[in-house]
Amino acid sequence: MKTNDVILQTVTKVTLFIIILFSIHLFFAGHYYPGGGFIGGLMTSGAIVLLLLAFDIKTVKSILPIDYIKLTAIGLLFAIGTGAGALLFDMPFLTHAYTYVNMPLLGKTSLHTAVLFDTGVYLVVIGVTMTIIQTIGESE
Amino acid sequence: MAFQILLNFILAFVWMFLKTSYSPASFFVGYLLGLLIIYMFRRFFHTRFYLLRVVAVLNLLYIFLRELLLSNIAVLKVILRPKLNIRPAIFALPTELKEDWEITVLANLITLTPGTLVIDVSPDNKILYVHAMDVSDIDEAIQGIKNTFEKAIMEVSR
Repeated sequence: MKTNDVILQTVTKVTLFIIILFSIHLFFAGHYYPGGGFIGGLMTSGAIVLLLLAFDIKTVKSILPIDYIKLTAIGLLFAIGTGAGALLFDMPFLTHAYTYVNMPLLGKTSLHTAVLFDTGVYLVVIGVTMTIIQTIGESE
Repeated sequence: MAFQILLNFILAFVWMFLKTSYSPASFFVGYLLGLLIIYMFRRFFHTRFYLLRVVAVLNLLYIFLRELLLSNIAVLKVILRPKLNIRPAIFALPTELKEDWEITVLANLITLTPGTLVIDVSPDNKILYVHAMDVSDIDEAIQGIKNTFEKAIMEVSR
């Protein structure tokens, strides 16, 4: 019997955005507070899993037309790129640099190349988690 | 559209609460992040991504200001000319706009640009009667209004 999921779907439509915002908060909090790329990525993929639970795989694919395998590759490239970038400045592999910049909105902010590395981690975690879940979900 | 804006505001406030900093700057950062998330999930909504409509409104404003300037210059030329050889006319402008506010905006835009003036709207809201100060070609005038104002208004309400 097909049940009506209208309550689940409507609640998903609002909570999904709050969960993703919280995951971005966790991602940026990583340097000074608990959080970081791994937990942020897991929570983002958790939000997409909620979407998968409320709707079906086809709808989610039409809403988010992302190839998660490519996303994993892009994340790995981010991590290698920030590591290799240090070689250009005569530094050992994976040496990170940071600087303090006065941004127009954020005030005094420290820009750290570790954030780019974390972005790589974030994308790989989303990519791997979603690939695992979608591959299991698609097989009969 | 209203739902998307409301959601964006809620997300901005959630961001402020997460950061426990209640400054306008953190509201703005939260608003931008919310905008980004809503853009990512834009296919999720039945209506268009709402920023497109904001852009359409700004475009309508730009068209209005441009036409206002250009046609004021045109009227100035007519006034300063020693001989008055203008050809006034009243013509019917068929419109495709349906909503009350769309017709009102179109009529106000036509009236506020000098040289043309909306006299009356037909009872079935399909035809606008426009008085023009100097028309050499009526079809050209109709097409001019249709291509600029009507198109821009449709872009907003679509």
